[in-house]
Amino acid sequence: MAHRGAERDFQTSARRMGTSLLFQLSVHERELDLVFLDHSYAKPWSAHPDASSARPTRTLFVTPRRQHESTIESDVPIDVETVTSTPVPLYDNQKARSVMNECERHVIFARTDADAPPPPEDWEEHVNRTGWTVAQNKLFNKTLKALQSDRLARLANEGACNEPVLRRVAVDKCARRVRQALASVSWDTKLTQWLHTTLVETLSLPMLAAYLDALQTLKGKIPTLIDRMLVSSNTKTGAAGAEALSLLLKRPWDPAVGVLSHNKPSKLPGSPLILVASSGPSSSVFPTSRRHRFWQSQLSCLGKVIPVATHLLSSGSGVGVLQCLEHMIGAVRSKVLEIHSHFPHKPVILIGWNTGALVACHVSVMEYVTAAVCLGFPLLTVDGPRGDVDDPLLDMKTPVLFVIGQNSLQCHPEAMEDFREKIRAENSLVVVGGADDNLRISKAKKKSEGLTQSMVDRCIQDEIVDFLTGVLTRSEGHVGTEPRDQDAEKKKKARDMARRDLAFEVPERGSRPASPAARLPASPSGSEDLSSVSSSPTSSPKTKVTTVASAQKSSQVGSAQLLKRHVQRTEAVLTHKQAQVPVSAEHVEEAEKEDLRAQLKRQQPPSPLPGSKAPKRPKIKVALVAQGDPAGGPSQGGAPEAAGGRPVTMTLGQASAGAKELTGLLTTSKPSASEGGVSTGPAPSVVPSSAAPSGLHTLQNRLVATSPGSSLPGGPPSAVRPLDCVQGEVEGAASASSLLQGLSFSLQDISSKTSGLPANPSPGPAPQATSVKLPTPMQSLGAITTGTSTLVRTIPVATTLSSLGAGPGGKPTAIHQLLTNGGLAKLAGSLPGLAQISNQASGLKVPTTITLTLRGQPSRITTLSPMGTGAGLCEEPTSQALPSSSQRLPPAP
Amino acid sequence: MFVRNVAGTPGPPITVPTQIAKKPKYRAAWSRAGRLADQTWSFIAMATEESGDAKAEPALSSSTNRSQKASEKPDYALKFTLVGHTEAVSSVKFSPNGEWLASSSADKVIIIWGAYDGKYEKTLYGHNQEISDIDWSSDSSCLVSASDDKTLKIWDVRSGKCLKTLKGHSNYVFCCNFNPLSNLIISGSFDESVKIWEVKTGKCLKTLSAHSDPVSAVHFNCNGSLIVSGSYDGVCRIWDAASGQCLKALVDEDNPPVSFVKFSPNGKYILIGTLDNTLKLWDYSRGRCLKTYTGHKNEKYCIFANFSVTGGKWIVSGSEDNLVYIWNLQTKEIVQKLQGHTDVVISAACHPTENIIASAALGNDKTIKLWMSNY
Repeated sequence: MAHRGAERDFQTSARRMGTSLLFQLSVHERELDLVFLDHSYAKPWSAHPDASSARPTRTLFVTPRRQHESTIESDVPIDVETVTSTPVPLYDNQKARSVMNECERHVIFARTDADAPPPPEDWEEHVNRTGWTVAQNKLFNKTLKALQSDRLARLANEGACNEPVLRRVAVDKCARRVRQALASVSWDTKLTQWLHTTLVETLSLPMLAAYLDALQTLKGKIPTLIDRMLVSSNTKTGAAGAEALSLLLKRPWDPAVGVLSHNKPSKLPGSPLILVASSGPSSSVFPTSRRHRFWQSQLSCLGKVIPVATHLLSSGSGVGVLQCLEHMIGAVRSKVLEIHSHFPHKPVILIGWNTGALVACHVSVMEYVTAAVCLGFPLLTVDGPRGDVDDPLLDMKTPVLFVIGQNSLQCHPEAMEDFREKIRAENSLVVVGGADDNLRISKAKKKSEGLTQSMVDRCIQDEIVDFLTGVLTRSEGHVGTEPRDQDAEKKKKARDMARRDLAFEVPERGSRPASPAARLPASPSGSEDLSSVSSSPTSSPKTKVTTVASAQKSSQVGSAQLLKRHVQRTEAVLTHKQAQVPVSAEHVEEAEKEDLRAQLKRQQPPSPLPGSKAPKRPKIKVALVAQGDPAGGPSQGGAPEAAGGRPVTMTLGQASAGAKELTGLLTTSKPSASEGGVSTGPAPSVVPSSAAPSGLHTLQNRLVATSPGSSLPGGPPSAVRPLDCVQGEVEGAASASSLLQGLSFSLQDISSKTSGLPANPSPGPAPQATSVKLPTPMQSLGAITTGTSTLVRTIPVATTLSSLGAGPGGKPTAIHQLLTNGGLAKLAGSLPGLAQISNQASGLKVPTTITLTLRGQPSRITTLSPMGTGAGLCEEPTSQALPSSSQRLPPAP
Repeated sequence: MFVRNVAGTPGPPITVPTQIAKKPKYRAAWSRAGRLADQTWSFIAMATEESGDAKAEPALSSSTNRSQKASEKPDYALKFTLVGHTEAVSSVKFSPNGEWLASSSADKVIIIWGAYDGKYEKTLYGHNQEISDIDWSSDSSCLVSASDDKTLKIWDVRSGKCLKTLKGHSNYVFCCNFNPLSNLIISGSFDESVKIWEVKTGKCLKTLSAHSDPVSAVHFNCNGSLIVSGSYDGVCRIWDAASGQCLKALVDEDNPPVSFVKFSPNGKYILIGTLDNTLKLWDYSRGRCLKTYTGHKNEKYCIFANFSVTGGKWIVSGSEDNLVYIWNLQTKEIVQKLQGHTDVVISAACHPTENIIASAALGNDKTIKLWMSNY
């Protein structure tokens, strides 16, 4: 009892310590702190001698390496009696035990016939197997074996001090085996339902409880399959039983639930906005994992969380990794901009997992954010570890926290230290013991240390809080005083400088007859801050691909790798400051073209969309249409076949909410974007449809022109020259398409959120009605493009990178290496699949889709180059060899 | 290091020691020679109090400095001789509450005795073959017995009834053990497997088959998380009780057959007896042998050994030279030899709280002796 008392004491005292509760368990360098108390000048042993910005590494649950004790002499007394006290579990044991036995307590709910006596202990002998098929026998036996193992684990772990954790581990294992058994019959509905019914009828109560535990666990992972499995029994049990059962199965229990919910982390100072960068395109078919949702809710305890999801808008053969990446970066970046414009004084924190972490880092290089947090940072790329001299991340100025798993495949703590040494930004590293790339700890670790993932997650969160609190309090100190403003000022100046430089260059080259607007330097300062809109600078678009194969392969290249490369390139060309490139209204024009066509197309299907939100949608469209108008004139009258051959349509269905938001943003932006105003006339609201093809064509031309530039990363060094000379072109073209795409993407993004609407868009309703608003949005659009151009320019580079490896001339081994080396190959590999799925899904709600198709059109490249001379020249030598990705927007159904 | 991290790594070629070639000679149970087959069961179980004629012989007795030596010598003396079994006794165990002593024998019965006075309590009938091993549940209410009839039986000691018969082994069941919570039983058998049974239902939950020879001993550690099993194949394996995964295998250099294994009371060490007259104390987590106890004779039988922790820290074991050997755990010296049995001392057990040792001998003797020390 004394022991029990002590345990209680410990727990209460630990609880009093709030967030540091879990911190205590992890092995920290606590002695170090003692030294610090006395000797403030002391440096931690892990401090970098020559990298003051890298703070000493912190470790969570890293078991200290066992020192090799000197050989035990025989005269050292051996104690065979004293039992080493086991560590007290950090969770509330009582509570944990009660949730642990939830299923046992409620096992009766599962019984179909509650009145019948429960099967006896020797139920196994009474199971009547006559009439069972081979498959049924097999399935039953497999499941039974899993349950028996679980039973053994339960009995063996009974009474252990960390029983709840051990139980959790065992139940997870059992669930896995049951799932395997069910998967072995391909989740055949009949069989699974039969199994469920049989088990419920025959199993003894303890076994049934184990089965329910397994079901509960699986329900959290594969809800639909389990639901399907339970259908038949539900009908038998009646509503009450079914409801109770479904309540029971609602979510798997967690031993640490009590403690964690009692000790909520406190809000961060300065009420920061936390942007969560997704690590891949999201899809409605694959909802985000429980864990990520959990993390999101946990982070929301710290501040307002804004997840930035990138939706894959695709149908057809899939989207390249590159485009995906571009969208991801673009989405985050535009969100940052948006937030800056809405809440100029709120600190913004970027958080990302894995690839999302990279995205966050890259965005932090481009935009001002207060801090970045990289969870499961992938340090290793297909090219080896990051941290080459030209790695853009080295130029990060934003304080950054890396959290990595000790057993991570994509990162090694020691390599991470090397990397951190080189980063200029203040940075911290947390190593989570026994954790993988996703910071999940292994089963063995859970067992040996009595941990649960939720506890580890919480500790990680505490570390994040620690770090962010430090950063925020410091930056808060600056806020309102000069330094920060000066900083911003400086930044702006730098940007302007860069912009001016480029702006100067572009007209000089004079190679772009198509875009009168291009000669106008991009918007005066301030405009980019306002242009928060959907400017997701994702780009990519219309370059052609020489071979289908290469396009597909390109999608397999690790996205992280691409990310690294392409931003690297950016940095090489510009400074790490984000140079704002002058952007012509032309881009916008292109976008409008597209949109116009989309509208025209959509005129055909009758689409009466009732609902209050409907009127908002056209508003945007009108703006776009108006925009397209001036474009029609200047755009080169290239062969209209381009458009004819590949009808490009962008549908803005269901954009209701999104549209609202978008327009809101558009209108808020001040007309300070002078160039926007200039380029747009008071647009006539009707555009000749012929303008569309030509606009499209121009766009294509532009993008084709980018291909030489894109050869850079992989190509011979000499290829660098072409980039320089084409640069102007690239900027223009790429950004145009990117705007288009970004716009559509963000619309999609937003619209999918509000997808409660049944579908059919009503593009019909009156452009005229809203045409009044035109000029303003227009301007802001122009501004937006300027904001995004930096990013955009890098894209072709990345494209080629992938195609380089995959191209017909490329070495297959290289590809192979990429795939096997890159931990991100997984992601890449899964992308086409995702695309496919989202395509199917989007097929249901027709209007929201935009299709991206990679298609080989080698002939295009040569035919479509009546471009500016500079571009044309550069293009010649490389265009054939260089595949680039093209995007096709098929007509809306 | 003779340790390998198991699972999948092929062991070294196993050289079967000559002793193994001629099997049945394990504990006693199946050595039918000398079996008093036709004698009636109406024997009288009794304990005779010793009057001092059969004296314990201090191994290194020196009358000088007796007070000083007292700290190093256990000074066990024979107190009772328990007569009752009609065949070789195979195992004796004290109940965890210290009240009882249970003994199993080749005569197919289990006899319960008073632990302090050697008073006969009752006989448990049920097995129809020799019994090789018994074990108490933690609450001293149940016994499990392993028999040559290929079954294990769970007994309610109070009523003397057999509660469950655990069927599943395909050959003699040779050793058995309750886990500390007494919801599981492990058994080792001549069918070379180790089985884990659920006490409540009597169902086999798991069969561990990783030995290539009869399993001679099985034991749970103090918190029931680990199982150790030893086999004539010369390997000791440590298993995770919850999952049945083999965590470690301990193999000695020359691979002698393992006749006995047991965790230390705190579960940190393993005492391993091998048929080369050796007992070794292993630190299994590091995989190294810490102590070696020799001097006794053990080449044929699976003789039990024990940690004695109630007074001094000793290792107690029977021997084939009819003595009970007591070593100092730390110094490895033989501190006492208990003389009195007239056949191989197959089993020696230590009382959980008092300085009492129970020893049992094979067919020529058939008695159990209680030795006490006021150390």
